[in-house]
Amino acid sequence: MAVDLRALAQKTWRTIASIQTGVVLLIMVVILSAVGTIVLQRPVTEPDEMQNAYSPHALRILDAVGLTDVFHAWWFLGLMLLVSLCIVAASIDRFPNSWRYFSRPYKYPDESFRRALHPQKLVPIADEESGLMAAQRALHSVGFKPERVVREDHFGIFAERHRISELAVYIVHASLLLIFFGTIVDGLWGWRGTLNLNEGQTSNKVELGDGTARTLPFAIRCDSAGQENYKDGTPKKWWSKLAVVADGRDVEKKEIVVNDPLLYGGVRFYQSSYGPNGKVAKFMLVAAPNHGSGERQEIGLAVNDTVPLDADTTVRFAEFIPDYAVRDGQVYRKSNELQNPAAHLVVTSKSAGKNFDVWFPPIDEIADNSKSPWQFQATDLKMGHFTGLQVSHEPGQWGVWSGVVLLGVGLAFVFYVVHMRFWAVPVCDLKTGKYSLWIGGTANRNRDAFDQRFNDLVASVEAELKAIPVISQSEQVATPATEKLRV
Amino acid sequence: MARAKTEQQQPATGMTLIVMVGLAIAFLLFMAFLNVVKSGNLLNETNLLFATLIFYVGAGALYLGFGVTGTESYVKFASLATWLGLIANTAAVAHRWYEAGHAPFSSVYEMLLSFVWTLAVLTLVAEKKFGVKVIGTVTMPVAIVGVVLMQLLRTEVHPLVPALQSTWLHVHVTLAMLAYAACALSFALAMMFLIQDNMKTETFLAVTSASTLGIYASVVLTRFEKWGGLSLVAWNPENKAEVFLSKGVRLFVTIPDLGWLMTLTLLVVASPLVFYALARWKNDDSFLTLANRAVFLSILLQVMTLVMFLVRANDGRYPSLDADGLFPTSLAASPFILSGLVGGVFISLLYLLLVWRRPDLGRLLPSADNLDRITYKTICLAFPLLTLMIAAGAYWANQTWGSYWSWDPKETWAAITWLVYAGYLHMRITRGWRGRRAAYFAILGFVVVMFTFFGVTYLLPGLHAYA
Repeated sequence: MAVDLRALAQKTWRTIASIQTGVVLLIMVVILSAVGTIVLQRPVTEPDEMQNAYSPHALRILDAVGLTDVFHAWWFLGLMLLVSLCIVAASIDRFPNSWRYFSRPYKYPDESFRRALHPQKLVPIADEESGLMAAQRALHSVGFKPERVVREDHFGIFAERHRISELAVYIVHASLLLIFFGTIVDGLWGWRGTLNLNEGQTSNKVELGDGTARTLPFAIRCDSAGQENYKDGTPKKWWSKLAVVADGRDVEKKEIVVNDPLLYGGVRFYQSSYGPNGKVAKFMLVAAPNHGSGERQEIGLAVNDTVPLDADTTVRFAEFIPDYAVRDGQVYRKSNELQNPAAHLVVTSKSAGKNFDVWFPPIDEIADNSKSPWQFQATDLKMGHFTGLQVSHEPGQWGVWSGVVLLGVGLAFVFYVVHMRFWAVPVCDLKTGKYSLWIGGTANRNRDAFDQRFNDLVASVEAELKAIPVISQSEQVATPATEKLRV
Repeated sequence: MARAKTEQQQPATGMTLIVMVGLAIAFLLFMAFLNVVKSGNLLNETNLLFATLIFYVGAGALYLGFGVTGTESYVKFASLATWLGLIANTAAVAHRWYEAGHAPFSSVYEMLLSFVWTLAVLTLVAEKKFGVKVIGTVTMPVAIVGVVLMQLLRTEVHPLVPALQSTWLHVHVTLAMLAYAACALSFALAMMFLIQDNMKTETFLAVTSASTLGIYASVVLTRFEKWGGLSLVAWNPENKAEVFLSKGVRLFVTIPDLGWLMTLTLLVVASPLVFYALARWKNDDSFLTLANRAVFLSILLQVMTLVMFLVRANDGRYPSLDADGLFPTSLAASPFILSGLVGGVFISLLYLLLVWRRPDLGRLLPSADNLDRITYKTICLAFPLLTLMIAAGAYWANQTWGSYWSWDPKETWAAITWLVYAGYLHMRITRGWRGRRAAYFAILGFVVVMFTFFGVTYLLPGLHAYA
């Protein structure tokens, strides 16, 4: 039984680590993501648009299987985890081999290896030492650091470059895992929300996507916000002057624009929208007395401001209704959009001990416009603006960005850094007793360019051989051999 | 003997085509010049693009001529025409850049302009550096379709909206254009490989027929209206925009009788596939001859349909089923149908080229092994570029929208493209996929790239609304 279990575990492991599983998983990710871009997704679509697009029945089915929110569905997350698992397993499965390759370089090629290797070349040499010297010099001249390998019964030259390239693919896989890890951290501990501020307002409450509020340990104040337009009327720039308020004082100030957020305490504030907030910043009026003394004067009122008109009379801006309706002699607020605005002023006369309700526009039966001792003429209504800030906290970001950098480095190594190895071994033909130098090389990618390099190296070894004066034990024998070579 | 004869005849036919293409280019340029003299504005973008188009068409014709006849001198003139087209194209890009005050990356039109430019550059690079002379046979028609599409798109210069005012726009889009052009190149090389690899012409026949069938079937299934009409989106020529009945609901007009023509073409286009199936089923090669004839017929009908479509959809007012009165439409309102029809003709012509190829065409191409390797190399170039493009986009999105990944359709499809090429690399490196399977994979990759580039923009709009 136990053996069976072990076999089963081994089999499962091999399945997970296999490239087929990886490819099948990738195909599934591809198909499901494609579906996620074709079926309307709940998080980015208005509910009635969803209902227009699909019949209630279809919508129920789509909702039930999660196809209306593919990228946040548990099975999509599960799939991504499986992909990660597969990457980890495949890497673990293959890593020991690569590591052995990396940590214990194969320095002396044995005979079977020599027979199978491509490219290779035999160059006739006078004796072992001069051959090895020539190889060493030739390798030096192309920037390698050749190393003499001496074993009990044989010796040779080994040189290599960019051994790290063998591990590059693990760098790429590790970087992908790092990116996944970062996004998971963000998914678990990160949050996103919005914060709308009127000019001058301070707040530390961020409204999150699910409707709940989050209180920040510091507050944000919007000093001013605005929009600049191009000549054709399209927006050119949105900006907000923000201040971070902590412990009752301003600790940081920044003017943010789109593409340039404010970062404080791990929380980022992005410029996301801008517009009128339906509130009046200033109501500009010209006031003139009905009769008698007093002069025409220009006044500007914010809501709840009270201004004296003369010694006896004051005016207060009581209320502003952006969209009003009248029912049963009462004024109601129909909506907060600036559709059908009404302004309510209260003129108080101390001597008469009376309040007069002045309305813009003069609403019948309610407004005392004509009875008021002062008459008003509205000249301008300056609306207040709000700035819409996108707020996000992404603690996993460092993982994502370092993963991206690592991915770039890893890919550069995978595609453009070649692990090249050269061996040179003197061999002796047993029949003729003549020596030749066996030169072989291999590269882990871009083999055709390597072949060219190999041929150059062989040519350079041959040139070196000619240049080296023969210093062998028996000059009489060696000279004819080199002569032959020259022919 | 017969061989010697053809060799002798060659210079004659060779010159004919060059002279013809040269005369056509000169004639078109002359006509354009007359127009320009009348309007008095020589160096505007329309003229530059027109010159680009003329040169690219000339280059395309010469490359095709080289593909069919193998005359070496065609290639020289073809690259000359490509060079001239590239100069005009560069001038158009520069003009646009100057006019707009920013790099031409901010609308579909501007992206196409840069894409076509990159494609032409890479074509010349592939030709000169890798010696793949026929590559223009595939890339030039893609460039031509690109320039034609550009004529239909909105060209007004828009100032950059706040979200686009970032250095990352340039990084992101430059990387995207380079990556996409490299993908286009790998696609062309994979096609060359399939030709060099002596893939059976029947297989090409089946693929060609199936893809044209797919094009016409999707047009007929989605747009065939009662009484043989073809419904197209109504177009408002003043605003240069589609007409909407309400939010998200487009107004369709019906062009009478065009639906019948489409259906007829659909049937004819399907017939080669039927003959191919019969040939396979009965094991009788005589059906293949029939199938080849059917391809001829289908090309004739396709060209006719295309011409009718061009004539009728470009102008005129048509009734609508949803509203009273007559409404105008325009080719610009139906970019997909138009590219589908042009693409269909193009694929079928490519098949003809294959049927008519000289038996020694293989000699003119690099060896299959080499093509396979170069395809792999271009993908080795495209993949890191794609990776960097996505990374730059994510970093930028994080600065603008406050989130590095929003599963927006464009993002998702970019990731899908990346995954497809990642699959290619894994199969090639670890499973040793070479040759045909790798070539199919490269072709699939390019199809996904094109969908990400155009399809997503028009079909699946999201945050990436600019392009």
